[in-house]
Amino acid sequence: MSAEKVSSYAEALVAVVQAEGDLAATEDELFAVARALADSDELREVLADRRIPAARRQQIVEDLLGGHAAETTVALVSMVVGAGRGSDLVRIIEAAVERSAGLRNKAVAEVRSAIALSDDQQQRLAEALRRATGKDVTVKVIVDPNVMGGLVTRIGDEVIDGSVRTRINQLREAF
Amino acid sequence: MRARIQDGGRARRPSRLRRRAIAGALIFLVATGLGTSPVIAAGETPGACVVEKVEALEFGGRHGGEALALLEETAARGVDEGAEEKFKSFEKKLQSCLDAPNPIIPEVTEIIWGGIAFVVLLALMQWKLFPAVKRGMDRRAEKIRDDLDAAETARTEALEVKAGYEAELADARAEAGRIIDAARSDAEGVRVDLIARAEAEAAELRQRADQDVEAAKRQALSDMQSEVSAIVIGAAETVIGRNLDHDTQVELIESYIDDVGSRN
Repeated sequence: MSAEKVSSYAEALVAVVQAEGDLAATEDELFAVARALADSDELREVLADRRIPAARRQQIVEDLLGGHAAETTVALVSMVVGAGRGSDLVRIIEAAVERSAGLRNKAVAEVRSAIALSDDQQQRLAEALRRATGKDVTVKVIVDPNVMGGLVTRIGDEVIDGSVRTRINQLREAF
Repeated sequence: MRARIQDGGRARRPSRLRRRAIAGALIFLVATGLGTSPVIAAGETPGACVVEKVEALEFGGRHGGEALALLEETAARGVDEGAEEKFKSFEKKLQSCLDAPNPIIPEVTEIIWGGIAFVVLLALMQWKLFPAVKRGMDRRAEKIRDDLDAAETARTEALEVKAGYEAELADARAEAGRIIDAARSDAEGVRVDLIARAEAEAAELRQRADQDVEAAKRQALSDMQSEVSAIVIGAAETVIGRNLDHDTQVELIESYIDDVGSRN
């Protein structure tokens, strides 16, 4: 799928979210769905399998997200899967999140941590990143045990790595 | 004949063959003449001699056999002494026909005719044969001299050629010696070069082997260090993972936030 189509789908998703209201909350939910798909090859393959009827794939989405996400989020994901774009769902959601943040004049800061961050920590981290990068950011936390400890932040192409995993890898390379 | 030929001016001289034919004919004529001479007649058979004596006999007005019969009859009667003497003389003549000629001393006429023939033959030979023989011998001697000169010349040339061949042979031997020396020199050079190459290759192989050994040692050491570091890092990772409790995690997060916030 071309970057242009991905961008068009992302734009459509953002338009729907804007029309439905809570932009930030839906944005967080969509981001969480993208992370879950990125971590699960099996789920990603099932949703992208065109041999499975679209209704069945949409039913899987509704079964997984129903009760855990807003109806708008479930509807948007189901719409993309039903359109046969399940294989590009992660890219579409990431583009939509970045576009949504851009509408609020913010950049998306993807933060990986071994444990969940409190709201206070996220706010202070956002402030620290604003001072460091000069950009207003919206923090999207991904809990990743592989980080072991500390945080890894990616804003666009810029990465600020303070994880224990990276330090151990550096130590290994130093040997 | 010579005068006629000379008078003829441009007439050619008789050839050698023609001159020999003429001399041979003269000698034949002389010999034929001698054969019909009294010398040869003196050597006739006894029968012919008796017949001649009988035919020459004359007695009582008769000739030949009749004279002989009459003479014999008259002498036998013994009435005529003259007839008896004549008969005895005739018997002696007949007896002379039966006597053998002297084998050593020829007849006088034969000596005379033989001497004349000898002189004529000698003169002819002196006139024609001896000069021809002398010329032939001279030509032959000249030819032999020429042949000897030619042979000497050929021998000299052969000696020169032989000397040339010997010189060329000597040169060839010298050249062969030089070639052999050059080949030996080249072979020695090749041998030295091969030895030098072999030594260089051996040195290179030793150096390469040393380098391989050194590289293997370094690789083994590096592998061992990697193994050790992997073990150490793995152990450290395990220890760190066990010691990263919630408070430590929070402390690391706070430290990260402070560190990022301190960047400007």
